[in-house]
Amino acid sequence: MPKGRGAYRALVQRKKLVLLALSLVLVLSVIADLGLGPARYTMREVVLALMGSSEVSLQISVVIWDIRMPVALMAVVVGAALSAAGAQMQTILNNPLASPFTLGISAAASFGASIALVFGVGILPWAIDYVVSVNALLMAMAAALFIHFMSQKRGVTVETIVLLGITLVFTFNALLALVQYLASEQALAAVVFWTMGSLTRATWPKLAITAAVMAISLPLSMRRAWALTALRLGDDKAASFGVNVRWLRLETMMIISLLAAVPVAFVGTIGFIGLVGPHIARMLVGEDQRYFLPASVLSGATILSLTSVISKSIVPGTIFPIGIITALVGVPFLFSLIMSSRRRSW
Amino acid sequence: MQLSKLALGAALALVGLLPVPSHAADKITVTDITGRKVEVKAPVEKVILGEGRQMYFVATLDTDQPFKRVVGWRDDLQKADLDGYKDYLAKYPQIDKIPTFGGFKEGTFDVEQAVSLKPDVILLNIEAKTATDDAKLIEKLAKIDIPVVFVDFREKPFENTDASMRLIGKLFGKEARAEEFIAFRKAQIDLVTERLAKANPPKPVVMVERAAGYSDDCCMSFGNENFGKFVEVAGGQNLAAKIIPGTFGVVNPEQIIASNPDQVIVTGSNWELYVPGGAWIGVGSGADKAKARDKLAALMKRPAYTGVKAVRDNQVHAIWHQFYNSPYQFVAIQAMAKWLHPDLFKDVDPEATMKTLYERFLPVPYKTGYWVSLTDKD
Repeated sequence: MPKGRGAYRALVQRKKLVLLALSLVLVLSVIADLGLGPARYTMREVVLALMGSSEVSLQISVVIWDIRMPVALMAVVVGAALSAAGAQMQTILNNPLASPFTLGISAAASFGASIALVFGVGILPWAIDYVVSVNALLMAMAAALFIHFMSQKRGVTVETIVLLGITLVFTFNALLALVQYLASEQALAAVVFWTMGSLTRATWPKLAITAAVMAISLPLSMRRAWALTALRLGDDKAASFGVNVRWLRLETMMIISLLAAVPVAFVGTIGFIGLVGPHIARMLVGEDQRYFLPASVLSGATILSLTSVISKSIVPGTIFPIGIITALVGVPFLFSLIMSSRRRSW
Repeated sequence: MQLSKLALGAALALVGLLPVPSHAADKITVTDITGRKVEVKAPVEKVILGEGRQMYFVATLDTDQPFKRVVGWRDDLQKADLDGYKDYLAKYPQIDKIPTFGGFKEGTFDVEQAVSLKPDVILLNIEAKTATDDAKLIEKLAKIDIPVVFVDFREKPFENTDASMRLIGKLFGKEARAEEFIAFRKAQIDLVTERLAKANPPKPVVMVERAAGYSDDCCMSFGNENFGKFVEVAGGQNLAAKIIPGTFGVVNPEQIIASNPDQVIVTGSNWELYVPGGAWIGVGSGADKAKARDKLAALMKRPAYTGVKAVRDNQVHAIWHQFYNSPYQFVAIQAMAKWLHPDLFKDVDPEATMKTLYERFLPVPYKTGYWVSLTDKD
């Protein structure tokens, strides 16, 4: 079937081009993120600082390397992680509205962090520097494990997982509200800021951890891309291809919880990336997980990177809480994509 | 002699046993800070404080028995100013028995509990107004004859501090005492403003970091009010004045490097109950200054302060955060004026001002430690 093969090759070619274009936009966005800021440096100064040249002052290199760079890269990594988590979640739950938020993982992380912020008591008090992040992570993991445990017990069905997730969202949101009620005004300000999400907490160690999580989980997911694609055809079909559906779901869920919890633990709740990223990717490259996953990663990273640029440009000198912008930009973006899309993407 | 002493003792005992006669049940009408006209039975005998830190002004008026009118308060004094609370607790151990309330702003104030305490008035901070309006709390309380009066030492301290003090003086029947405090405060502020107006020195750029080290976020600051305004009054230029639209906000860390401030002032308090072992600077009553300076120096190692002029010149200071929510802010202004213009205010001693404030108006002994500078030697 030379004609079919040609068509397939053209299709693959097109998808690869889309990935390339996405990467290009991402690179441009990161450059803008590094180049823009209240301290107005020329492109030459920025480039020199990036190359570690001794021509530029210490201040410029600190601004570029310690203030702009961690934020710019954190935006990329967090966007990628959240989008990857959302993409896989939508696939295994067979649900277009699935994202780390649907399963209550983000809500659990928020709750864990707010406890640390308000009561100053970490579940691990000796890790005082990272108490907030660690608490968030522990809670998120606990939520994910709870879902696993429960769904395993009762036999995994798509509906039970989603329903369990919803109950967790409500539970943790209520607990978070409770914590906020008990909070003092200063702690409350911190909690509110945290729940809105902020990339300014980015530091090199946090960035390294988040990047490491990505580096471990992405290849794992990519290796199972074919199985996930098969899963999209239905559980029975996937099973007939020799996929252990139950095991695949559980494994993927573990990866998702890690991908979702780590960013939430470090930068707070940033919504919509895990939802919008995969949808954009699906509209651009379709369901084939070999392309869908990288495209989700790239689109999530690009959105958050662009948002980071916007967040510091709205009012020069301050940083707008990024979660507000992702919601404000993400919702109409998703809306217009859905409305303008000719073919049904789900 | 003996007999008269006995008689006096008996008389005192009787007074103690008898219910306090409500001889002063005259109703007066006061206008509170929000412009509401409120009828209150004055002088009030039972007060609920919407914020524990309202003790800062209550103590200046009822210096002999600062808690005699307080039948309930919010639990924030202990949490936000642990050292100050301990000073009062040491002298008045009964204060940990005073019923506590949740915040009005957060909607956690229990009206029923308030009613059961039968207060003559409830004093609220102005920022609680929206929440109380929403809940129609004032109307509800008015029905059972509990008036609510709004005061303000935080949102617009320069416009409202005197008016708030006068208002409370009137309610407590301590008008002369309130005027005494107002005059003292005015004299101390005038000392700064008059000299600045005459000399008109160049204004150094000042970065005020709010609650530095309280969280990882860098950097919370003030817009045109509160500490932002204190800086302007003390003859400085507030870095965030044009950046932060309201009173409170967050500055991009890069902005600090870009603006290259001449002076850095961070606020802190003993927040052990909020963030145990945090990087905050625990200045306040009897603070360990050497420890405060160490923490301050550590905070200046954050990227946002790299190579900034103030840090290079060692012009870095920490000051008690609660100055922002008390009538004592004039002392902060003096301390800041001296930092910003050391030559002009060479003879001014803010430490002595704070001491005088304590000796003249407060029931607890003064302990140094409300501010530190990196250049201090003690």
